[in-house]
Amino acid sequence: MKITLTVNGQKREVDVKPHTRLLDLLREDLGLTGTKEGCGKGECGACTVIMNNKVVASCLVLAPQADGAEIQTVEGLGGKEKLHPIQQSFIETGAVQCGFCIPGMIMSSKKLLDDNINPTKEEIKRGLSGNICRCTGYIKIIDAVEEASRKMKSGGEG
Amino acid sequence: MKKQSKNVKNKLKTSGGDSRNYFRPQTKEGLMQILGDYEDELTVIAGGTDLLVEHFDQLYKIDNWLDLNWISEFKEIKIYDDKVEIGSMVTHERLYKLDKIKELFPVLQQAAADVGSPQIRSRGTIGGNIVTSSPAGDLLPPLLVYDAKLKILSQEGERVVDANEFFTGPKQNVLEKGEIVEKVILPLRDEKYKGAWVKVGKRKALVISSISLALNLVFDEDNMIKESRICVGSAAPTPLRIKKAEEMLLNKKLSKIKIDQVAQIVADEISPIDDIRGTAKYRRQVAFNITNSALDEVINQ
Repeated sequence: MKITLTVNGQKREVDVKPHTRLLDLLREDLGLTGTKEGCGKGECGACTVIMNNKVVASCLVLAPQADGAEIQTVEGLGGKEKLHPIQQSFIETGAVQCGFCIPGMIMSSKKLLDDNINPTKEEIKRGLSGNICRCTGYIKIIDAVEEASRKMKSGGEG
Repeated sequence: MKKQSKNVKNKLKTSGGDSRNYFRPQTKEGLMQILGDYEDELTVIAGGTDLLVEHFDQLYKIDNWLDLNWISEFKEIKIYDDKVEIGSMVTHERLYKLDKIKELFPVLQQAAADVGSPQIRSRGTIGGNIVTSSPAGDLLPPLLVYDAKLKILSQEGERVVDANEFFTGPKQNVLEKGEIVEKVILPLRDEKYKGAWVKVGKRKALVISSISLALNLVFDEDNMIKESRICVGSAAPTPLRIKKAEEMLLNKKLSKIKIDQVAQIVADEISPIDDIRGTAKYRRQVAFNITNSALDEVINQ
């Protein structure tokens, strides 16, 4: 079946099977490999994307369920020439170790900061509670979100 | 900004073709028609946070999907003078963020806030939680302590089932083939009531409860407890009301409750098992402790 969705601001038409996962649609059909597959069970958050302004585990969304949806992936935030303040902050604070969880961490951070530009530490922990980092770099990841909050408040929205 | 995605053409590699096995009615009438045509071959999907995990683990094959996500009527929350109706496709996220739910059904609101993670709460639904009927379903004990009723649809018509009578075993319930839970009906009380929710698991987030407890007490004008509900999750084949403990609270003031005695009855009455989330012995001890803390919480509210 054909579905149409908007990915990072661009309309895409894709032919999918009912059981195609949104994750595979993004990675295989659209070539957006920034979104990672970790557990494939909705427990690790590596595949987190923003769909219709909500964070979702893209491994637990069927492609047809994303018909007509607005999707943001990490590729939509910024690239090498101009990083999003969240990406910049993750680099500056050393929040990235192996990097596998980071696209998901960044998308959860994006949603968190979109909703609340000034989160407390507790709110950051709760906002990122669906994302696991097996390098266990949580402290610096929280630092990164705090730094991103400072940057975005001072007007540096990417 | 959107440069990278622009460079990539649609590849049509892993997907393509096949459009007949996914149904997405947008109205109740459309739903009924599909149920009539394909009843035996359909697998109903709500939020998918349990179903898809099992499907992709290949625990079973799904031939035809019936997706309830497109029926906007099932996503409505309606507040009347004497009841609140929550559509089965209302997500945990909406439940816990809605001030009205927090005000009227705080135990349910807190349980919804404790489900999984932001990614799970944004997709998982109250109806899915009910129909999955896991003994560990976080919303089930709160629904039982608020005397919820479930409105069920099928081609034969409608029926209303008391949530207390809905669950029959682990992942088992009274729902028959071709039946769909349309909404949850929560009666509104004129009297004062207070409640508490406790969930215990191995982590704070993304955890299936080792044991949980919901409590709701309704008071008369003299602040005597005139109705009491205690329900424990993950401690029996279904969410379990502890009627013996409930009775002990009746016609008493909060200050006169013998907390330890009530907690001991709860610990004695549950029938927990040993599993990866805790031993039966552990669960009995924790049941005692969380009954204690739930009653404490209500006393201090």
